[in-house]
Amino acid sequence: MATTTVKTETFVGKRIRRREDPRLITGTATYVEDIQMPGMHYAMILRSPHAAARIRSINTKPAEAAPGVVCVFTGKDTKGVGVVPCGVAMPDLRVPQHTILATDRVYFVGHPVAVVVARDRYLARDAADLIEVDYEVLPAVADPEKALAKGAPAVHPQWPDNIAFTYHQDGGNIDKAFAEADVVVKQRIVSQRLVPMAMETRGVVAEWRGADRQLNLYTSTQIPHLVRTLVAGMLGLEENRMRVIAPEVGGGFGSKLNVYAEEALMGFVSTRIQKPVKWIESRRENFTCTIHGRGHVDYYEVAAKRDGTILGIKLKLIQDVGAYHQLLTPLIPQLSVLMMPGIYNTQNIRADIVGVFTNCVPTDAYRGAGRPEATHGIERMVDVLAAELKMDPAEIRFKNFVTKDKFPYATATGLMYDSGDYAAPLRKALDLVGYVKLRLEQADLRKQRKYMGIGISTYGEICAIGPSPATPAGGWESATVKIDPTGKVTILTGTCPHGQGEETTFAQIAADELGVGLDDILVIRGDTAVVQYGIGTFGSRATAVGGTAVYYALQDLKAKIKKFGAMLLESDDVTLIGGQVVDNKTGKSTTLQEIARASYRALKLPPNTEPGLIATRFWEPPNFTFPFGAHIVVTDIDGETGQIKIRRYVAVDDCGNILNPLIVDGQVHGGVAQGLGQALWEQAVYDDDGQLTTGELMDYALPRAHLMPWIESHHTCTPSPVNPLGVKGVGEAGTIGCSPAVVNSVVDALAPLGVRHIDMPLTPEKIWKVLAAKH
Amino acid sequence: MKISGSYTLPVAPERAYQILQDPAVLAQAMPGCEGLEQIGPNEYRMKMNVILAALSGKFEGKVRIADAVPPTSFRLIVEGSGRIGFLKGDGLLKLSLANTNPSVSTVVSYEGDAHVGGTLAAVGQRLIDGTSKMMLKKFFDKLVSLAH
Repeated sequence: MATTTVKTETFVGKRIRRREDPRLITGTATYVEDIQMPGMHYAMILRSPHAAARIRSINTKPAEAAPGVVCVFTGKDTKGVGVVPCGVAMPDLRVPQHTILATDRVYFVGHPVAVVVARDRYLARDAADLIEVDYEVLPAVADPEKALAKGAPAVHPQWPDNIAFTYHQDGGNIDKAFAEADVVVKQRIVSQRLVPMAMETRGVVAEWRGADRQLNLYTSTQIPHLVRTLVAGMLGLEENRMRVIAPEVGGGFGSKLNVYAEEALMGFVSTRIQKPVKWIESRRENFTCTIHGRGHVDYYEVAAKRDGTILGIKLKLIQDVGAYHQLLTPLIPQLSVLMMPGIYNTQNIRADIVGVFTNCVPTDAYRGAGRPEATHGIERMVDVLAAELKMDPAEIRFKNFVTKDKFPYATATGLMYDSGDYAAPLRKALDLVGYVKLRLEQADLRKQRKYMGIGISTYGEICAIGPSPATPAGGWESATVKIDPTGKVTILTGTCPHGQGEETTFAQIAADELGVGLDDILVIRGDTAVVQYGIGTFGSRATAVGGTAVYYALQDLKAKIKKFGAMLLESDDVTLIGGQVVDNKTGKSTTLQEIARASYRALKLPPNTEPGLIATRFWEPPNFTFPFGAHIVVTDIDGETGQIKIRRYVAVDDCGNILNPLIVDGQVHGGVAQGLGQALWEQAVYDDDGQLTTGELMDYALPRAHLMPWIESHHTCTPSPVNPLGVKGVGEAGTIGCSPAVVNSVVDALAPLGVRHIDMPLTPEKIWKVLAAKH
Repeated sequence: MKISGSYTLPVAPERAYQILQDPAVLAQAMPGCEGLEQIGPNEYRMKMNVILAALSGKFEGKVRIADAVPPTSFRLIVEGSGRIGFLKGDGLLKLSLANTNPSVSTVVSYEGDAHVGGTLAAVGQRLIDGTSKMMLKKFFDKLVSLAH
């Protein structure tokens, strides 16, 4: 025991480089594909080339006879395995039996039909070609609006209308709002189908240890514990006999917030062959059998006063479901409805969702999940209304914002916005971009018949998902913090970071609370045998919910550390500071290491205190958090070619307190990149036969680095009262704020030609056609 | 996908019609054809090796001739599938005496629908139009050399 100087360096709020990056950028991280095991076999999945067909017969014999092949399984063999789960319960939801392999019919191109298992992946691949499937091809439908039309082919014969579910929500008095309106604007707005495109495709290694009655499942997932619960159920295995490990996960964007057929299928195969088996999804497979995002056709009507006051919003939302419900499919458009008033003070809404089956791969959560669609809708409609009323798009927004004295603010859709100052980011963004000057320049350019546009989007979003009653699987998050006898700190989190950087941010939180260095802290996630239980990483929740669980576990642990410190110092008045417990009276101190050792050695214990330093908390958030912001995009359009050039991209995001500005920048940049992808280039296209015609990166225009504009990222800070960290979440903000700002900018540029709306993606071809038609 | 075009064969329509239905000639003329075997009246089993940029693979299928009106027209129905997907085509071929040339020749015009699926559709979409035109040109070029 000694009197020493205390460490005062703090980490929260600083630009700390991500501790996970060295292994990620040096190729030394371990992904599912990197896992090798003795006796490992390889699986290749044969998939349907047809969007709709009856399977007359499958002949697997030639494949079974191929060199190296151990066995081939079809839907007949896997009948005992449970169906791929849909986690959403709602009245009248039609849930087709989603078996892990097709049985008598296939419903989309990419539908798994058989699995070949061989001792070598190339032999498995070659053998899959030898399987003879006799298909009776049936008519297919790939467009949700065509699927709703009379006489359309039925995706599932038992539901000839192709309706998967309907959902209605009313708030306030919508009929009165529309009756009192001076003006009503209407617009059809499409949020196209997108491919989430994680850099690492999906992959599964299943290892059945017969002697231990234990299934180890390595899978590239955002939700290892939910996968364990649900896949154990599908396989009829006791959950405690299954261990799910998500090693390094190379991106997910929602596409790995799911339970897939292949996870159960590999478990099934491994138990059958009594050997480990690996399946790695190819990029081409990824296009056709991992969930897609978006897929909305929205019909908006907005009622307003002549002065720009929005009175009410109506929305008819057609959601392209695809052939099946994946884990959260029916929930995604409901998130759009929750968000449909945006950050505007209107208490009258009406929403009608119809979910439609199509012969396409299912849609589900993709970065933003329902909120980008809603934000795109309302932000486009506000601009359409401004154009109708000949008002400035910034002015009409200021007029309708929920003002900062109104928080907490109850929305017409049933949410309670936690905190906000919506005018602040817009004011800041307008200043940063030089709005007044730009409008003058625009007027000059218009005289020269040049197309320059300024697009504003002021978004709000739902983060920190979420309170358990509002989620299908529980919305809390867990953390264990333990200090070893040598004084080193380990955090076990139930979140499953896969690019969000919580190995760094959680360490920052713990380092400051305990007064230790970042290198003294290890953050472990993604292993159900090690981590208590957890919900996972999605919905911008990991820091706001998972980080809060870490924070509260640290508070428990600190209390215990102080008890041991007080005992060692024989004091009743101590402070924990800088990794030491200090006697406030004498100034004597004892280190965390000394306390840790004493707590495990347990020669003496404080009253009513158990040995060891470990604390676990499961934190249930009382509400979502609601970040917001303003994005302004300035575009120049080439009148000859339709090429759009982004001159300025100003993002002012308010995500509450910022724990690590470097990581927040990264999240904004990545989010904006994906928002630009949707706004300008990306689109998953199915032809009328249900063939995906954008099935590779040559045809699916994923943004490349050289296409990115310089993103001027700024912030305002309105802390959340929902959690003690005051954080809101920022993982999806960029994507949500981006696409309407871009489209508003381009429509603004083309406004002199009478253009009011253009659907994404704004390819040069599309813009050129608009220009050609107007000239 | 719609496919249409025309080609001039330097023979009389009767001869053109005959070679267009001669399995031995067709087997030689069709690019990548590895066998054409008659399995019924006007119906053949075909093996074909298709190469489309980075994609290549064997197709097995059937060729059927219908609505034959010698020597002026017939319908050609092709169906094939293989590891890179499937293709289906249905086209009407019309033969007419070309009257602009000093020597006797026949204009073969074709018009039809083609469908592709599987990997071929997902990956090869951009290339199908150009490749099918190229393959048709090769086919007719070869046919010319075999016609005499």
